[in-house]
Amino acid sequence: MRVISLSDIRKTYIIGDAELPVLKGIDLSIESGDFLALMGPSGSGKSTLMNIIGCLDRPTAGTYTLLDRDVSTASEEELAMIRRDRIGFIFQAFNLIGRISVLKNVELPMMLKGVPRDERRARAIELLESVGVAHRADFSPLNISGGERQRVAIARALANNPEIIIADEPTGNLDLKSTEEVMDILSGLNREGRTIIMVTHNPEITKYCNRVIRMRDGRILDQSSVEQS
Amino acid sequence: MKLYDILDLISIGFKADRFKTLMSSLGIIIGVMAIVVMLSVGEGLYSGVSSQFSTLDLDVIHVIPGRFSFGGPPARSPEEPAKFTDKDTKLLENIPGVRNVAPQTSAGVIIGFRNTNASATLVGIDPENEHDLKTKISQGRFLTESDYTSIVIGSGVADGLFRMRISPGNRIRIYYEDNYMDFRVVGVLREEESSGIRAGNINTQMYVTHRAMKELLGRENYYYGTFQVTVDDPASVDEVVDRIKLDLKRYHRDEAYDATTARDMLSSLMSILSMIKYALAGIGAISLVVGGIGIANVMMLTVKERIREIGVMKALGATTRDIRIQYLLEAGLLGVVSSIIGIVLGIAVSFAMGSLAGLPSTIRIQSMLTGLLFGALSTVIAGVYPANRAAMLDPIEALRSE
Ligand SMILES: Nc1ncnc2c1ncn2[C@@H]1O[C@H](COP(=O)(O)OP(=O)(O)O)[C@@H](O)[C@H]1O
Ligand SMILES: [Mg+2]
Repeated sequence: MRVISLSDIRKTYIIGDAELPVLKGIDLSIESGDFLALMGPSGSGKSTLMNIIGCLDRPTAGTYTLLDRDVSTASEEELAMIRRDRIGFIFQAFNLIGRISVLKNVELPMMLKGVPRDERRARAIELLESVGVAHRADFSPLNISGGERQRVAIARALANNPEIIIADEPTGNLDLKSTEEVMDILSGLNREGRTIIMVTHNPEITKYCNRVIRMRDGRILDQSSVEQS
Repeated sequence: MKLYDILDLISIGFKADRFKTLMSSLGIIIGVMAIVVMLSVGEGLYSGVSSQFSTLDLDVIHVIPGRFSFGGPPARSPEEPAKFTDKDTKLLENIPGVRNVAPQTSAGVIIGFRNTNASATLVGIDPENEHDLKTKISQGRFLTESDYTSIVIGSGVADGLFRMRISPGNRIRIYYEDNYMDFRVVGVLREEESSGIRAGNINTQMYVTHRAMKELLGRENYYYGTFQVTVDDPASVDEVVDRIKLDLKRYHRDEAYDATTARDMLSSLMSILSMIKYALAGIGAISLVVGGIGIANVMMLTVKERIREIGVMKALGATTRDIRIQYLLEAGLLGVVSSIIGIVLGIAVSFAMGSLAGLPSTIRIQSMLTGLLFGALSTVIAGVYPANRAAMLDPIEALRSE
């Protein structure tokens, strides 16, 4: 099943009088259960593309169909709803909220959805257990290690059980051991059937992926598919 | 997002930043406090004053030398104060519509009773014309024209000044400057509720005839200090006032005198009260505006500090509405909490003013609700701009920021 379909997606920034094309016509289809690695030099437009796929940003032109829905024309409100229910974000910089506990961070997407307190607390603990950081539930995210932070972020991304996970350089700030732990978790989620799109600079970890896409200067260079193990 | 979850998030922020929260709410606290004090003191003054005036005679005109003044500095006039004599009594008595003229002269004196001294006010009167006072005798008798060393005393003088009660038959000595005279108490007046408008509180006054008063004061030229003129018909009181002012010119062309009614005094008092009220309201309003600006500033700072957090919230699916409500509620909650603190302080200040300055204060639920309303309103208004700024943030920009 096709979950994501991009056709001639363009993104152009206007800086003063000058136009800065960042995405110059992206055509891409992603199937349910894909684990896709997006690679390419810095500034090639990977994050811009990820933000569009994640419904955080809108393309300047082109059509984007997500889960059989044309989201190019969706309203702000609808996009927020899609982000909340269908997409989980994982960032290089973790982006946990430091002034609330690890547990509350994981509860947050469920709070936004209006899940009752007891139910969401139970699920948050369950999720923290599944990524092995339940013992940090009452800590501030500022007081745990980088590897733990990214595992909390994964738990948070899974809170509303989204079918798509968007991870922009999730291991960019992690050491080797944490990188492996995080990739094992992501790979497990992929095996459960979740579609994962991940930006990375590390060729090593593309071994977890079934597809690798290279970008340069706002265009997709080549796509290679790997036989799933 | 559910309300209690938003409140939960907000309270975490308040707890984490107690000092900033308190500082930002100070202006609102002071503003609400001023409003509550204003309403309580204003209300108290109004009800106090109007209850005194409800018992006031509307058929009485006060005529005095000099000029009446209320509140502000004593009214000064270039003229000498009028010297009232029996000629004026006759003149006033002959004005149509006048039923009675009671001339009085009062002075602060020292009373000696059984080797102890106390101070009180002595009033020289014309017994025949003091019909009202005459009815207030509770013990003994009232003065007559022929009395000279007889004295009638108020209940406060009888009961409150000395260890022993003064009763009819007792002798007291009255000192005025270097003079003294001995009097025999012939009557005691009934206790009266005090009235703020009369020449004084009759409970603490003593009455003698003008003859005795003149002797005690030791003045060659004895003048009356005030006339209490009673009219036949309360409806004609203003006409009579005009006539009195006109007719007295005959004897006092170059001297100052004044005539006024209870209603005039009431309205001047009321205008002073409303000035006080407006001054307090002004302080309250200014504090609320300053407080609102303070809150808006702190909220802007908070939004700036939390730019990244707001970006994360949006990435996780928060709508602009979610964010706007969160920050409006944060301002509103700050307003409600500050207002409640302001109300509590306002009540305390009202009571303190009441007991220290003798100002009556009535604390009503309406005053508290008004304080709460204005406090919450000004914070919510102050919160609108910062909340909008937060809601409109572009999530990508926000996530990129430091
Ligand atoms: N808001 C913006 N305004 C102008 N230029 C931008 C903006 N966002 C990104 N860019 C530019 O777009 C290009 C692609 O950025 P990005 O998608 O972050 O690349 P990558 O993630 O591949 O490093 C960069 O040159 C960047 O400077
Ligand atoms: Mg990037």
